[in-house]
Amino acid sequence: MRRFFAVCRYEFRMQIRKRSLWLSTAGLAVLIAVAQGDRGPRYLPADADAARVMGSWALLFSMLLPIGFGMVLADRLVRDHRLGAASLLASLPTRPGALVAGKYAGSVAATAVPALLALLVTAAGEFVHRGDPALFPSAVAAFAVVLLPGLAFVAAFALVGPLVLSAPLFRVLFAGYWFWGNLLGPNYLPSLTGTLLTPIGDYPASWLIGERALYAGTPGWLSFLRPEPGGGAALLSVVLLAVLATPPLVFASPLLARRTSS
Amino acid sequence: MDIMISGLRRRFGRVEALRGVDLAVPGGMFGLLGTNGAGKTTLMRVLAGVLPPTSGRVLVGGHDITTRAGRLAVQRRLGYLPQDLGLYPDLTTHEFLDYVGLLKGLDDDAARRRQIGELLDMVGLADVARRRLKGFSGGMRRRVGIAQALLGDPALIVVDEPTAGLDPEERIRFRTLLAQIAGHRTVLLSTHIVEDVAQTCQEAAVMASGRVVFTGPVTGIIDRAQGATWEVVTQGPPPSTGVVVSAVGRPGGTHYRVVSPTKPDPAAVPVQPSLEEGYVALMREAVPS
Ligand SMILES: Nc1ncnc2c1ncn2[C@@H]1O[C@H](COP(=O)(O)OP(=O)(O)OP(=O)(O)O)[C@@H](O)[C@H]1O
Ligand SMILES: [Mg+2]
Repeated sequence: MRRFFAVCRYEFRMQIRKRSLWLSTAGLAVLIAVAQGDRGPRYLPADADAARVMGSWALLFSMLLPIGFGMVLADRLVRDHRLGAASLLASLPTRPGALVAGKYAGSVAATAVPALLALLVTAAGEFVHRGDPALFPSAVAAFAVVLLPGLAFVAAFALVGPLVLSAPLFRVLFAGYWFWGNLLGPNYLPSLTGTLLTPIGDYPASWLIGERALYAGTPGWLSFLRPEPGGGAALLSVVLLAVLATPPLVFASPLLARRTSS
Repeated sequence: MDIMISGLRRRFGRVEALRGVDLAVPGGMFGLLGTNGAGKTTLMRVLAGVLPPTSGRVLVGGHDITTRAGRLAVQRRLGYLPQDLGLYPDLTTHEFLDYVGLLKGLDDDAARRRQIGELLDMVGLADVARRRLKGFSGGMRRRVGIAQALLGDPALIVVDEPTAGLDPEERIRFRTLLAQIAGHRTVLLSTHIVEDVAQTCQEAAVMASGRVVFTGPVTGIIDRAQGATWEVVTQGPPPSTGVVVSAVGRPGGTHYRVVSPTKPDPAAVPVQPSLEEGYVALMREAVPS
C-alpha cells in the first residue's frame, strides 16, 4: 500500500507539472465558454437553480476536456520505456500491480485537479451574475458525478491503449472514438452516444439537472442502453463505466512486463 | 551476496544473447569486460530480476532469481544502475531519489531523507538537489544514477558501464567511490574501460559472444599476453603479424607494442604486458578473426 501511494504521489506530481495538461484544459474550457451557443448554461434563466447551472457546465466540460486528457495521458505508461527508466523500475522490489495502480490513481488525480478548477472558476464567474453561493458546492457535486467518472474511464484506456497500439495511433483512434461514441447524434449513425456507456455523463447530468440532458435516453439504435434518465440510471451508468475500465487496468501489468522483458 | 550462475541462456527471438554462462562472483569488486554485444547488459538485467532467463540457474545470495519470492528477496538488497538510465525530467534530484527510495521500501521518512542527503554529498550533487533533472549533463545524470543505486545500503550493486562518457577525472572519482563502497558488499561492474578494472578489481570475467571466456584474478588476464607482447621500433611500416596495441611516434622511429604469439619482427623485444594487452590476447583466442 505504501508503494502504491508513493507511485500515486509522484505520478501526480510529475503530471501536474506538465504544461500541456494546463494548456489543453484552459484552451478547451475557454472554447466551451465562448462557443457554447444560446442553449448553453450561460443563457440559462437568472433564477435557474445552482445544480442545474453547474450540472450543465459540467456536462459541457465533460464533452471536450477528456479529449485533451486522453492525449496527455497516452504516454504515461509507455514513457518509462521511452525515457529509459523501465529497467530501473523493474529492478525495484515493487509489484507491477502497485506501479500500475499508483500511476492510474495519480493520473486520474492529476486530470481531476484542472477539471475541478475549471468548474470552480466557472462557478465564480456565474456567482458574479447570479449571486448564489450554492453554485460552489454544486460545482463540486457536478464535478464528482458528471466529470470524474468519465475522467477515470478515459484514464484507464489512455494509459493502457498505447501499450497495445502506439501512442500516436491511440490518440487518433481515441479522438475518433470520442466524436463517434459521445458527440455524434445517435440518429444518424449507430453510435454509443446517449447510452449508459458514454463517459460524457449524460445520465448523471440529467439526474443533476432534473431534465433530459444532451442525448440521454434519445431513442435510436441500442435503445436498451438508453433507459429513461433518473437517479438509478445515473448510478448504473457510473457503475458500468467503472466495470468497463477494469479490464485494461488488469491487463496493464502483464503487458508492461512483456515489454520490459523483450 | 555471492552470485552463482550455471548454464544461463537467454534469447531474443533469433539472437541468443547468453549461450550458456557459467560464472561465480564472490564478494568484493568484480569486473565484467567484453566486446560490444557480448551479453554483459543482458547478464546484468537477468541478475537484477528485470529479464527472466530462457534457461539455466541463477542464485544470488542463495536466492533463486527465477522464482518470484527469490527475485523479490534479491531486489530488496540490490542497487542497480542500468546502462543508459533515463531520469524523469520533471522531478528534482531529491525527488527522484526519494521516489526510488520509497519504491525500494525505505519507509521511514526521516531516515530516507538523511540517506539521500548523505548520498548527494557523496556524489557531489548537494547543491543541485532541488533542481529539476531536465538539463543535467551526462556526468550529473550518471551521478544521480549511482546515488539511486546506493540507496538502501544494498548488499549487491550491479552497475552497467557507469563510467562511459565521463571525463577522466570524473571517471577516476567514480571508480574510486565504487571501490570504497565495495568493502563487504558485492559490486559487479561492467565496462569497456580496461583501466577501470585494472585499478579497482581483484577479480574479473571476460565475455565474448554470449559466453564467459575468462574468469579469475585480474592478473590472470595479464598472464594471457605473457611472452606474447613485444615492442618494435621501426621507421618502416608497422609489423604485419599480431595486433598493434599502441604506436608512439618518436624521433628514432615509431614504437609499436604488439600482441602476437610469435615474434612479429626480427628486431622485436619481449616486454611486460599490461592488462589491456592481456585482454587483447584473450580476445584473439576467444574470437579468432
Ligand atoms: N531487448 C533485446 N531485444 C533483442 N536483442 C537484444 C535485446 N537486448 C540485447 N539484445 C542482443 O543481445 C546481444 C547482447 O547484447 P547486450 O546488450 O547484452 O551486450 P553488451 O555486452 O551489453 O554490449 P555493449 O557493450 O554494447 O553494451 C546483442 O546481440 C544484442 O543485439
Ligand atoms: Mg551493455
